[in-house]
Amino acid sequence: MSIDVELQAAATKYRNKQKIKDRFISLFIGIFAVVWIFPIAWTIWSSLRPYKEVRANGLFSVPKVLNLANYADAISRMELPTYFFNTALITIPAVFLTLFFGSLIAFVVSRYSFKWNVSLLLLFTAGNLLPAQLVFIPVFKMYITLGKAVGIPRLLYDSPWGVVLIHVAFQMGFATFVLSSYMKTVPKEISESAMVDGATVFTHYTKVMLPLLRPALASLAVLMTTWIYNDFFWALVLMSTDSKRPITSALGRLQGEFVTDYNLLAAGAVIAALPTLIVFFILRKQFVSGLTLGSTKG
Amino acid sequence: MSEVKNGISRRSVLKGAAVGGLGIAAGGSLLAGCGSDGTGALAFGARTVDAGPTAQLKALVAAYTAKTGNEVTYNATESNAFQNNLSQYLQGTPDDAFQWMAGYRMQFFAEQGLLVDLTDVWNEIGSQYADSYKTAATGLDGKQYFVPQSWYPWGMHFRKSMFADLGLSADTVTNWDEFLKMLDGMKKKGLVGFAAGDKGGWEAMGTFDILNARINGYQFHVDLLAGREKWTDAKVLDVFTHWEQLIPYMNPNVLDLEWDGAMQLLLQKKAGSMLMGSWFGGNFKEQSEADYADLSIIPFPEINPEFGRDTVDAPIDGFCVAANGANNAGGADFLKFAGDMEGVQAMLDAKDADGKSIPMTSANKGQDTSTYDAFQKEQLAVMDEATYITQFLDRDTRPDFAGPVVGPAIQSWFKNPKDVNKIVDTLQAQWDALPPLA
Repeated sequence: MSIDVELQAAATKYRNKQKIKDRFISLFIGIFAVVWIFPIAWTIWSSLRPYKEVRANGLFSVPKVLNLANYADAISRMELPTYFFNTALITIPAVFLTLFFGSLIAFVVSRYSFKWNVSLLLLFTAGNLLPAQLVFIPVFKMYITLGKAVGIPRLLYDSPWGVVLIHVAFQMGFATFVLSSYMKTVPKEISESAMVDGATVFTHYTKVMLPLLRPALASLAVLMTTWIYNDFFWALVLMSTDSKRPITSALGRLQGEFVTDYNLLAAGAVIAALPTLIVFFILRKQFVSGLTLGSTKG
Repeated sequence: MSEVKNGISRRSVLKGAAVGGLGIAAGGSLLAGCGSDGTGALAFGARTVDAGPTAQLKALVAAYTAKTGNEVTYNATESNAFQNNLSQYLQGTPDDAFQWMAGYRMQFFAEQGLLVDLTDVWNEIGSQYADSYKTAATGLDGKQYFVPQSWYPWGMHFRKSMFADLGLSADTVTNWDEFLKMLDGMKKKGLVGFAAGDKGGWEAMGTFDILNARINGYQFHVDLLAGREKWTDAKVLDVFTHWEQLIPYMNPNVLDLEWDGAMQLLLQKKAGSMLMGSWFGGNFKEQSEADYADLSIIPFPEINPEFGRDTVDAPIDGFCVAANGANNAGGADFLKFAGDMEGVQAMLDAKDADGKSIPMTSANKGQDTSTYDAFQKEQLAVMDEATYITQFLDRDTRPDFAGPVVGPAIQSWFKNPKDVNKIVDTLQAQWDALPPLA
């Protein structure tokens, strides 16, 4: 009997302790949630107010007008169809090419053992470490020189294909790394039996490995899409015609030379962020698995 | 879908390579053919996406096309992006004519051979401009590379109604003592005397410019920015000493406000005066006509009687022709039209979306100044009083010095004015460490 009571007391004590701990954690998480949500909420809040009112009464004034006028204005000034089309023209080919080439290299370095396969993998991964700002001048000069040599000045420079190529080059390192880690988790026996059955290297790649890679490719595609979609830098330095640039630079159109209407800009930012948000919510599962991709094997 | 796209990519790249391999000469002659007949279709790069200036430029382009029949492709880029990318833009595949600024910023690119010599254009339209504009359009080699469009002065802006309340008038704030007295009076009334913002790093350069010009004169200022004088000179320290006297009258959050934050203080009648370029008047006009009518400008007060109020920062905006463009002669022809009174008139006649005229102070002598509104007339008076025109610090010195070095140096001075000796040492050291111009 007394043991029972004691046990019960211990259990209650433990439960209370756990409750306090839980409360602490909830509080902690709550604070972080607020810190994370605040900028987004503030952006949305700002986007609903006219700049004229903020200018006259200050940032923290009580609003007299709350409406969607900034959105209407932003949509008309950003020329959304043009810029979204430009973004698609860059993002879609870039993502597919990255995945295609990345999976090819990953396939070779992880499935076949030859002298330089690890060094090759390292080389591609190391490419990731070079900051874009460091290499953009040589890349730019290369594009110009190539265009001049061929007689078509806009062959790569000021052309969406030039931007696609540079994205492929830059993202391929990461894609190779992730895909090769993933391929290493696929049992060697599958490859061996394929080879025993007389599959050529190409069949081995297309018929055996690619189908198995599908989850990795899907999550990588989501990550790549977000990254390339969000790029502003390459399109800025490798293109001279603004109307060819992607949606990220359309945001600049809301910025005046001297006057920046931050309320309008907030509305524009919300609009520009929408597609990535939609992609994220549709492919949430792949995204989360994408974040941990390759973290267990490497 | 993707495979189709990939296919196009690979094929067109290959095709491009093949065409190039076959006929570099053909490509070359094609370009030459474009340029030789003098006019023809051209591309124009606008350095703005703002509604007012866009309406003006589109009107200019339309008038040019109507007159000559030459089609003009209009490419607009947001001003900061355009500016940051100009070097690549000019080396790559630039538009034939583009919007740019006078002074050092133009000379910098002219020296690198990226701009087209416009001496012939100036021979035709030069008589329509005062000499100071021609000087501002001239490169270091004595040739012209720039056609001016418009200008605006930097000066002390205030609200007429507030000045009247304080018992002040434009002629009672002419020298440093009167100026400090004015600021004192404002402070006693609980106002910010000298509204300032320097979050952007460039705003306070205007204050440095005018103090240096007032204390040490135009020549020293220009020589300092060109590297012919030293930042460690006692004269420069004197500028900061004067500047420090203004700090008690500034809003305390100078480094948290961009220029428009400072402007809001003036608009909301929380500040009595602000040193700024008159371009911001458009904001007052947008707020209400009453606010715009209340806005006024006077020259920065005299400090050193030797120099009086002989210098003003008045950046000139205008156009250049890119040497790497496809149609240099077409670009020059377009600029001749833009600089001629006919083109200027087309810009002046442009209306904004509400059908109102857009204020512009043209560099062309032909603009009828009697049509100026009151604020524009005051700007002209500020301009007329000055013998010397400077372009603003970030246009008068090397681009790799103004933004990356002077801007942060002034910001760190605001944080701790006592560090001034260290700051001027750094400025000089950084100038000395700059690579020679290519």
